[in-house]
Amino acid sequence: MTAVLNNRPAADADSGGTAGTGGPHRRRKPGRAAAARRRRETLAAYGFLAPWFLGLGLITIGPIIASLYFSFTDYSLIGGADWVGLENYRRMLDDPRLHQSLAVTFKYVFISVPLQLAMALALAMVLDRGVRGLPLYRSVYYLPSLLGGSVAVAILWRRIFGANGLINQLLESAGGLIGLSPTLPGWVSDPEYALGTLIILNVWTFGAPMVIFLAGLRQIPRMYYEAAQVDGAGPARRFWSVTVPLLTPIIFFNLVLQMINAFQTFTQAFIVSGGTGGPSDSTLFYTLYLYQQGFGSFEMGYASAMAWLLLMIIGGFTAVNFLASKYWVFYGD
Amino acid sequence: MAARKRGAPPARRTLAVPAAAAAAALLAAGCGGGGADGDVEIRFSWWGSDSRHEATQEVIDLFEERNPGITVTADYTDWDGYWDKLATSTAADDMPDVVTMEERYLREYSDRGALADLNGLEALDTSNVDELVASSGDVEGEKFGVATGVNVFSVMADPAQFEAAGVEVPDDETWTWEEYVETAAEITEASGGDIYGSQSMGYNENSFRIYARQHGESFYAEDGSLGFSKETLVEWFGLVAEMQEKEAQPTAAESVEIEAGGPDQSVLSTGSGAMAHFWSNQLAAISGAAKGDVELLRYPGESEFERTGMYFKPAMYYSVSAGTEHPEEAAKFVDFLLNDVDAGRIILADRGLPANTEVRSAIVEDLDEAGTRSADFVEELRPDIVDGPPPPPIGAGDVVEITKRVTDDVQFGEITPEEAADRFIEEVEAATQQ
Repeated sequence: MTAVLNNRPAADADSGGTAGTGGPHRRRKPGRAAAARRRRETLAAYGFLAPWFLGLGLITIGPIIASLYFSFTDYSLIGGADWVGLENYRRMLDDPRLHQSLAVTFKYVFISVPLQLAMALALAMVLDRGVRGLPLYRSVYYLPSLLGGSVAVAILWRRIFGANGLINQLLESAGGLIGLSPTLPGWVSDPEYALGTLIILNVWTFGAPMVIFLAGLRQIPRMYYEAAQVDGAGPARRFWSVTVPLLTPIIFFNLVLQMINAFQTFTQAFIVSGGTGGPSDSTLFYTLYLYQQGFGSFEMGYASAMAWLLLMIIGGFTAVNFLASKYWVFYGD
Repeated sequence: MAARKRGAPPARRTLAVPAAAAAAALLAAGCGGGGADGDVEIRFSWWGSDSRHEATQEVIDLFEERNPGITVTADYTDWDGYWDKLATSTAADDMPDVVTMEERYLREYSDRGALADLNGLEALDTSNVDELVASSGDVEGEKFGVATGVNVFSVMADPAQFEAAGVEVPDDETWTWEEYVETAAEITEASGGDIYGSQSMGYNENSFRIYARQHGESFYAEDGSLGFSKETLVEWFGLVAEMQEKEAQPTAAESVEIEAGGPDQSVLSTGSGAMAHFWSNQLAAISGAAKGDVELLRYPGESEFERTGMYFKPAMYYSVSAGTEHPEEAAKFVDFLLNDVDAGRIILADRGLPANTEVRSAIVEDLDEAGTRSADFVEELRPDIVDGPPPPPIGAGDVVEITKRVTDDVQFGEITPEEAADRFIEEVEAATQQ
């Protein structure tokens, strides 16, 4: 927006300049025409930009500002909104379910993101060695990323990991073969395992970072590996001293992106637990609790305050990521 | 603080102006193809399954045929999505003219001024509504909802499963809670663990509501506060824990999955249990898949304590939006849904046994077997029902989830009945007393 605005004075100065060099009368005319044309172009630009600005304002920025305002009120979605000051934020301090939801979300983010990235990198390296039918594998591994957040997969997941689901049936028959009959838990319905199952679901969607890693690996000049090999570096040494340092910008990019994504996880938990965050709040993700407060309990003011807390948490972690990146991310050249 | 409060409305208005302008623009765009002059359009929203959608559309067609000039637009979704959608459309001042309400949400909307007082609408006649549910939608003299039909929370039993286990179906007029637990445990044992005695009774707060009433208490008192004693609740969670210990019900993890599946996944529908707790209008859905002809039983303990605890609940309500532009047409439509025999013949017992007693007796012959059984059951119970509970307070919708969570914890053995009672009371009070 500012760039467009700044163009205008510059354009005026430009035409003024040409006008000054020659006969005022003759030169001025084309100058004025040029200015008019520019003005028309500027208007046209605004015209073309308008739908986007309207959308940004009405659908994104407007609601964001509104939610900031609502976070200081007792807005109930149906009734009016009375100003309550910092009450919603104070209430967060002694809301045990909010603390539970934060614990669940942090656990999820800090376990699933590193695992997912490690998985993505490992697979990318295997594929980078030049497997036959690479495009096929790439698509196959990428598929879960497209499907992972979908309702259908979450429902499927619930069935597969249920107490009498596919996984347990397989384990049972496998156990039967070696003469065991273990008591198997319901992987999504037992509070001890439910979050772990969702973490595995997230790790499974490693396709998107994998494709990016694969592109990054292709950028590393072969000669570095050859030089390292000539110097007697083994595969592990080559990985840690060539691949990882040169890949750090990509790792950083994936880390930031996946972390932000993981903090906002909603669909999987919503479907697998039927919207309750159960069993026993073991999958009560932050966004799920926010949704329950806003649309279930009509505590839209509190939910708005929660949304702003989440924004601050994500912003904080992203900032820390960027600050820390100075010490470990290596931009070549 | 007070000064700030006064300062708030202008700030809202500044937000409202652009929003209203945008809404007006959208409306103008949307109304481009409007109908003929004099045509009134009203919107009717409900939740439910496909069969309900089809039947309701049929009723709407019939209404439109008889009332030229009124168009009814259908606006339906499933139960979970319904309340999100209704809340957001109400917030946007776009509430459907006629909405289907439920007990736990009625005051949530009426106390905030979203519903019209039906007493003031001339086209709606409520004189034939069953007296046991007639005033259930009233709040302080105003009528915010009229009952669609009558429902009763009961024990459903599959006699075929009892027979297979070699256990007799108990006499439901005299059975005690202890007998219920013993019977259920016996069935599990006799079947070698293949069939569970009963699905967990803990997940629906209406079970405890009946239990509290049997003890001369109530879940909510008239003023919306909690009407039961902690001792009663501790005893209740004790029963739930006992059912779990004796393996009279599915394992805790299985129960979580069964609950998430709704009536289709109940132990009766999947043939993995002998008893379950449901609303009488769900009988048809459940018996369709069950092994035998599912029977409706009275709750255990009806003759054990001070009084009977079962009650008639309005299955749903029809309510009219306070902001509707066509209150009389909306009332006319509600009147049709409620009082017209032809409409009743299409809806049958899907929204509970019709609340209008004349419609009810007229359609009894049209009911299928399950419908007839639940109609007979309701009539049989009638003399023993003492009264109806008052409408639950604002926030009662939250109690559904609180009940599920605390019951889960009891069944997984994470908390004692004593701790469960403390937590339940604390959370329900926090949710309902704002």
